Amino acid sequence: MSHPVFMWAAARPCRSDRMRTDAPSVLVEGVAKAAPKPAPRRRSPALRRAFPYLLLAPALAYLLVITLYPGLFAIYQSLFVVKFLNWTWAGFDNYTTILQDREFWAALANTALIGAISLALQTGIALAIAYFAYRDPLIRGWRIVYLMPMLFMPSAVAFIWKLAFNDGRVISDLLGRLGLIEGNVDWLGSIWLSRMTLIVADVWQWTPFLFIIFVAALQGQDQEIEEAARLDGASWPKIFWNISLPMMRPVIVVAVTLRGIDITTMFTNVFVMTQGTPGGATETMSYFIYRQGFRMFNFGYASAASVLMLILTVIIAQTVVKRAFHSGKT
Amino acid sequence: MASIHLQNLEKRYGAFVGVQNMSLEIADEEFLVLLGPSGCGKTTTMRMIAGLEVPTDGKIVIGGEEVNEVDARDRDVAMVFQGYALYPNMSIYENIRFPLRMRKIPASEHDARIRQAADMVELGAFLDRKPGALSGGQRQRAALARAVVRQPQVFLMDEPLSNLDAKLRQSMRVQIKHMQRQLKVTTVYVTHDQIEAMTLADRIVIMNKGAIQQVGTPDQIYSDPANTFVAGFIGSPPMNLIEGTAQNGRFTAPGVSAPCLDHVRGKVTLGVRPEDCQVGGDNVQGMVYGVEPTGDTTYLTVRAGEKMIEVKAARDYRSDIDQPVGITFDPAHLYFFGEDGQRIRGAA
Ligand SMILES: Nc1ncnc2c1ncn2[C@@H]1O[C@H](COP(=O)(O)OP(=O)(O)OP(=O)(O)O)[C@@H](O)[C@H]1O
Ligand SMILES: [Mg+2]
Repeated sequence: MSHPVFMWAAARPCRSDRMRTDAPSVLVEGVAKAAPKPAPRRRSPALRRAFPYLLLAPALAYLLVITLYPGLFAIYQSLFVVKFLNWTWAGFDNYTTILQDREFWAALANTALIGAISLALQTGIALAIAYFAYRDPLIRGWRIVYLMPMLFMPSAVAFIWKLAFNDGRVISDLLGRLGLIEGNVDWLGSIWLSRMTLIVADVWQWTPFLFIIFVAALQGQDQEIEEAARLDGASWPKIFWNISLPMMRPVIVVAVTLRGIDITTMFTNVFVMTQGTPGGATETMSYFIYRQGFRMFNFGYASAASVLMLILTVIIAQTVVKRAFHSGKT
Repeated sequence: MASIHLQNLEKRYGAFVGVQNMSLEIADEEFLVLLGPSGCGKTTTMRMIAGLEVPTDGKIVIGGEEVNEVDARDRDVAMVFQGYALYPNMSIYENIRFPLRMRKIPASEHDARIRQAADMVELGAFLDRKPGALSGGQRQRAALARAVVRQPQVFLMDEPLSNLDAKLRQSMRVQIKHMQRQLKVTTVYVTHDQIEAMTLADRIVIMNKGAIQQVGTPDQIYSDPANTFVAGFIGSPPMNLIEGTAQNGRFTAPGVSAPCLDHVRGKVTLGVRPEDCQVGGDNVQGMVYGVEPTGDTTYLTVRAGEKMIEVKAARDYRSDIDQPVGITFDPAHLYFFGEDGQRIRGAA
């Protein structure tokens, strides 16, 4: 299933492409004029005007079919009560029901809670490692290694963690051998332990992504500024806190926002590892939508939940980015 | 506050020698100017003194203490960077304040000191701006203010006035000199500008290709150059260097003839400053190539053989080109250099 959020993210470049559609024709003309003597190649004016659109056509077609169509379809569907091929017009009934659905609010709260903790942890850890590591020449050469967790298939990662926590009891065993616990921990038996397994899996997989971005940002900073601060008497932590970190701010905001949008759609790990147990404590929005749609076959209801989620995500992301960049200036 | 000794200082980048076997004693409270063409190692030298660059070889002693192993932060030097290196996220006020905060200077003193430094560089009206909202010259002055706001052991200034207009540069020059005398802080100052070097320096160090060519007071550098590089580098326009031969107390080159001491023999280079030449006479017999009135003086270019000779002529001197013209040298101010470029001094 394609979550509407992806539609939003992917649709943006489409718009900016459109705004620049006159650029290729300028280029074509410029080349024709600049070419010295050989007779300029003639194209029919119609073709010349259509040329930029033709160049964009494949990308546009892709976007329309893969993201825009399902997105619009979801909005449309959310206005019906759908029982397979039997669609009944419902207006905004789905929405009003959802807003009174305790499970919806629980899922929203779970997503916010698990997402916020996970995001805070991975941002903090990534920043800390980046701070200690970015001057190291080894890091430059071996950056790609740190991307490995990201390169694994998400479902494979989820299964690894499922094995480690639940089925294989690897973690319990390790903790037991360290003498920290006795016997087995029932990770799915407690609300917070269960949530923690999701957080651990997400942090493990995505901290490297933030780390790479933060290291690149730090390495891109003007070294003389750091040196000036050093001569002014600042210690390394003070330089980081007073200078490097504020300079990284736009990068941090963008990276965390992207990651945040991604986390709100957390599904694979939930599906594989916890299935929302215990008692819905780990049911995220995506899993809620999935359950409504594909377990209970309330397609209209699930679509409505997706649309609400999309609106919420866009509002939050816009506010965060706008704020961060606005106060970054002046 | 501190003297600086450089002992056989060397910086190599792989096979390339950035600074070569440099030995220099900078006295306490001295104003020393490093002067040399682009890429000659001035910035590298400064950075080694500051502790930002590790010397490949040699020793640095500040205030009697070897500092090779001392971290840049603990050397207590203040530096104006060639690229300004202002903190982009802070206002100019906060930029200037940063060293005071970091060096734990009592907060009650901050404001007065910041305003004093900002006023010195005429930046008082811009304290609320971020560096991004300043012109190049304003940023440079902000960097200068940040360096002088506290009293360190040593000032290092890497072309701190290069982006200012002539008028501002002149007033800034006076300010810097006054401040240095007042604070009595040993200062190393890099510049391309000879006037700046001449007016500011207690002593000037001329560098070329990583090596010191000559160290001396502005007077010595001007009137007693050690080699053709220094002779041709100092003065504007610089000294005329005419290659020719000398024998029996006479120097000759195509269109040029001048007296020389007996021990000057063989292939030599004659150096004479434009201001030690006079129109008329017969040391040079050539053609007028060009006349450049500058207002307070007129520069005349004479072509003798293949050689162009610059002459500082009277203010109202005018001539058409390709007219025959004679030049007299002031015999007391002729310099001779051997084939290796080194100066041939008085009677041997
Ligand atoms: N990190 C480096 N690696 C290799 N070569 C370097 C490095 N830094 C400087 N150099 C070289 O060392 C030489 C001296 O550089 P330096 O910056 O000291 O010149 P400079 O005298 O300050 O010149 P300018 O007046 O243009 O600022 C230059 O030729 C430069 O190319
Ligand atoms: Mg330099």
